[in-house]
Amino acid sequence: MNSIEVKNLKRIYRATTGVIRRTTKEIVAVDDVSFEIKEGELFGLLGPNGAGKTTTVKVLATLLIPDAGEVRVKGLDIVKDANEIRKHIGFIFGGERGLYWRLSAIDNLRYFASLYHVDPEISKKRIPYLLDMVGLNGRGDERVQGYSRGMKQRLHVARTLLHDPDILFLDEPTIGLDPVGAREFREVIRNLQSEKKTILLTTHYMFEADSLCGRVAVIDKGLIVALDTPSALKKHVSDLSVVEVETFGVAEEVVEKIRNLPFVDALSVKDQDQRQLLLVQTKLGAEAVPDVMAALDGMRVGRVTVREPTLEDAYVRLVGGQV
Amino acid sequence: MKTIANNLRLFWQGTMLSYIALFAWLRPTTYIASKILMPLAQILFFTFLGSYASGGSNVDFYVIGNAIQITAVSGIFGVTMSIGGDRWAGTLPYLFGTPANRLMMFFGRAFMHIIDGALGVVIALMWGALLFGVDFSQTNMSALGLTILVTTISTCGLGLLMGCLSLITANVMFVNNTVYFLLLIFSGANVALDTLPNWMQAFSQILPLTRGIASARILIAGGSFSQVAPMLMSEIGIGLIYGWLGYMLFKWFELQAKRKGTLETV
Ligand SMILES: Nc1ncnc2c1ncn2[C@@H]1O[C@H](COP(=O)(O)OP(=O)(O)OP(=O)(O)O)[C@@H](O)[C@H]1O
Ligand SMILES: [Mg+2]
Repeated sequence: MNSIEVKNLKRIYRATTGVIRRTTKEIVAVDDVSFEIKEGELFGLLGPNGAGKTTTVKVLATLLIPDAGEVRVKGLDIVKDANEIRKHIGFIFGGERGLYWRLSAIDNLRYFASLYHVDPEISKKRIPYLLDMVGLNGRGDERVQGYSRGMKQRLHVARTLLHDPDILFLDEPTIGLDPVGAREFREVIRNLQSEKKTILLTTHYMFEADSLCGRVAVIDKGLIVALDTPSALKKHVSDLSVVEVETFGVAEEVVEKIRNLPFVDALSVKDQDQRQLLLVQTKLGAEAVPDVMAALDGMRVGRVTVREPTLEDAYVRLVGGQV
Repeated sequence: MKTIANNLRLFWQGTMLSYIALFAWLRPTTYIASKILMPLAQILFFTFLGSYASGGSNVDFYVIGNAIQITAVSGIFGVTMSIGGDRWAGTLPYLFGTPANRLMMFFGRAFMHIIDGALGVVIALMWGALLFGVDFSQTNMSALGLTILVTTISTCGLGLLMGCLSLITANVMFVNNTVYFLLLIFSGANVALDTLPNWMQAFSQILPLTRGIASARILIAGGSFSQVAPMLMSEIGIGLIYGWLGYMLFKWFELQAKRKGTLETV
């Protein structure tokens, strides 16, 4: 059974600018997106900034009306049956907004429980259970104001589980969390999946998608450019190796020069403080190293390694260098 | 039956939480101080100003007018902040993603301000008796209580409309202040309405407060309930119309936000 069906979804934003001479600009946020998510599946939606991930999630969460296409959740129509769908879905948009900061965590949850018409007898037990589950037990009486970012994001998870939805939309839920916090958060997501919840997850962290998702769709400029299991996507680049070169202040021209070398399939640059990590995808493997070094022309380099491709490398190849 | 219980609970939770949020903002002592002092300030200011301008003849006129006018503070500013607060908190997408009854979600927010506003009026009238010797010995107290309640409800109706405007425009404080001062003049709190030009009088008649203030003056002077009953009916009717317009605007806002994707950008 499919929990979610998205068929040829299109969504355009119209922004009017100017006071006197008004011009309307159309931004095609989602151009033509189709996918299906099976019951109990953990499905990843990946793509660069502005690809249309959040827009897709908003449509699924009944917060945006599609311009074209058909979207069904549990077989119900997203526009016509929005109110029925809302009873079965939960959603989170990453970040710390969207809570009443002047209220305690428990009061926030109480209010949302009443918005979801949760029986008070049930919510009385469920609120402490959820606080415990997201690791906020003992802190529920504190005002959200004093919560750290990670705590607020966990509270969002508790909030969205109040009515025990079968389907969850998590838009960058781990954004801005420290590595330990993000790891704990992933554990929570894993547990939710083991409770047979259907989950749509968007993230910019490829290892996160790789370790959690059964299938991922890569979306770019409002179009799906790949949809498969993480291991199948990695196979796309299995003939490649990745040469990683650590550089210090590499110039844009040099990067372009390497990108244009005949044996380079794709190249991306990861900024880390003063250093840049060049990720060169090539079929040559270690044999490519001398030529890459020659192109760097005596520039100071740090560690150089050659490794197997990851999901991130497959992704980089699909969307052309942006992470 | 179940739906009704659910909706009442939602209404009540909204009320309770806007109450808790208020106290998280103000300390109880600050709140009580402002509750006691603010009405005093308003009454003193306008009563001295008014009776000075009019030669000191009818102090009661200004005291009563300004005491009832206090409802506009809770009704307009309080309700607006309560509804507009969601925009600030970024909770709108999460609210609109729930299956909750929008009417209950909406009116629950206003309810506390009705109580709060009514309390302000009572305190202001007590100051009036204490400082300016306003005489309540001829007054039908329960009718006066009803008048205060009705007027507070009707001002909150206008406040709901303003609150929904605050979801749409960023300049709501400017609009609110304008409305507040319009009420100060046109509700008859400080100006005898029959001295105003006709079109201004007509404008007064479509505002909340106007009839409430007139009723309170009649009742305190010893008038009977039947004298003011028709005015109170109109007063509540006007409030309900504004509240309903506010609700319509709220629904329109929600639909518009879903069409245009303006839920966060507001
Ligand atoms: N409310 C809006 N009004 C106008 N344009 C918008 C609005 N929301 C998004 N857009 C535009 O639509 C496109 C897709 O945005 P969307 O937020 O869906 O991307 P995303 O994949 O979630 O990106 P990110 O990874 O940065 O979160 C972008 O070009 C964005 O500028
Ligand atoms: Mg996004």
